[in-house]
Amino acid sequence: MTRGFTVWRCMGCGAVLFPERLLCPRCHGAAFAPERVEEGVVEETSTIRHMIGQADWKPRVIANVRTKDGLHITVGLRDDSGPGTVIDLYEEAGAPFGVAKGSPPPTESPPAEPPP
Amino acid sequence: MRAAIIGVGQSRYTRRPESGQSAHTFIRDAVVAALRDAEIDARDIDGMAVASFSLAPDTAVDLAWKLGLSLKWLLQDTNGGSSAMNMLGHALRGIETGAASVVLVTAGDATGLAGYGKIAASYNIATRDHLAPLGHGGPNGVYALVTARQMKKYGLEKADYGRMAIAQRAWAAGNPNAVYRAPLTMEEYLGAPLVADPLNRYDCVPVVAGAQAIILAHPDRCPRGRAPVRVRAIRHSFNYDHQAGDGLQTGISTFADELWREAGVRPGDIDLACIYDDYPAMVLAQLNDLGLIPDGDLKRFAQREIGERRFPVNTHGGMMSAGQPGGPAGGLNHISEAVLQLQHRAGARQVPNARLAVATGYGMTMYRYGGTAAAAVLERME
Repeated sequence: MTRGFTVWRCMGCGAVLFPERLLCPRCHGAAFAPERVEEGVVEETSTIRHMIGQADWKPRVIANVRTKDGLHITVGLRDDSGPGTVIDLYEEAGAPFGVAKGSPPPTESPPAEPPP
Repeated sequence: MRAAIIGVGQSRYTRRPESGQSAHTFIRDAVVAALRDAEIDARDIDGMAVASFSLAPDTAVDLAWKLGLSLKWLLQDTNGGSSAMNMLGHALRGIETGAASVVLVTAGDATGLAGYGKIAASYNIATRDHLAPLGHGGPNGVYALVTARQMKKYGLEKADYGRMAIAQRAWAAGNPNAVYRAPLTMEEYLGAPLVADPLNRYDCVPVVAGAQAIILAHPDRCPRGRAPVRVRAIRHSFNYDHQAGDGLQTGISTFADELWREAGVRPGDIDLACIYDDYPAMVLAQLNDLGLIPDGDLKRFAQREIGERRFPVNTHGGMMSAGQPGGPAGGLNHISEAVLQLQHRAGARQVPNARLAVATGYGMTMYRYGGTAAAAVLERME
């Protein structure tokens, strides 16, 4: 996992976007610069306890997270951070993960059990 | 006015397709039923629209070939839960412009649970690359977060959604084609296993295999003694907010005023609503966008109007009880239910003197919620 997460800033109007677009929805400019976002605030969480078609599913937690630019991204949580918690963001294979700010970086394998 | 819905048909729905059953065979069964219902010879069909997640590698023309249909108007739609509405709009316009005279609109899927799981994990590039690696649980995880937001914003509790699930199950008891017809209690609802908090088993639409079909033609072709159903207005929305909102308003919010104005009726004139119900939260969101919850009190509406069945919502049981044979066919079942109600052919679940209905479609979960939505006002022609 690498620290921070890549989002895309429109070179024309400054809008911050994720996932990456072809044209900016605000100014329709075509030029974007990658930018690292290192933290966000958890707004809602869900423990995914069942995955259709998978009998040996291990529960895991996802969250809706707001960044300082007001961007909302869906993040995999690797601890029991709840709504209102500031988290550090990490990136693994293009997907965002997070743990409570100041915690050790998350391991690369998902937790075996859901948080309490 | 040259176009109306004159017949509907559906295949059997099943939780697990058997060997030899496929999207194609379910669609065939629905088409045969619709042709019989409309009293139309297959040779009279000159237009067809189809939507399916599991037709590939076949496309619409392959389906036409296998159904023995020679056509001059053909469409394949890819808009998931709003495909049915999209196809309906195109079919109406196809007939009105003379491009076709008798149009078959059909949809069906037979993915099986494993196949559905694969579709959910790679629904689009954003899902495949940025959500599936999180173990997001497909649409269940996405709408778990939306539902959590709705509960927070409107002060809703689990029991409020429970009343909706129980009411739809009660309606389903009158629908012999629904896969779940046994009464549901609040104890059963609240005690059901969580799937993706706060969603439990009864909040997540059950995946089935099956298909639906409807026939559109000049109203004069409607079987004798049966009222054709016309579409007073239909509107669509695609990518209405670039996924930058909270998902608690749908694309319907962008056209609701225009829809009612075009239809020449008001929300209060509607006799029943067939609302795309992949998740209970989205039923409330769409009803609110349509203006059917005039005071915006979602909690009261869920408890009283839907829960006590004062206002008929999803009288076939909705997808939550009737089953979801893929989003496209699930959406088409909502249109079919509106037609059956307006033709006064809904049997034990018939809404007395139904004359006007609204039906919706919603879908294509692009990243954080659905990016497509549509709605139509349908009317019984006397």
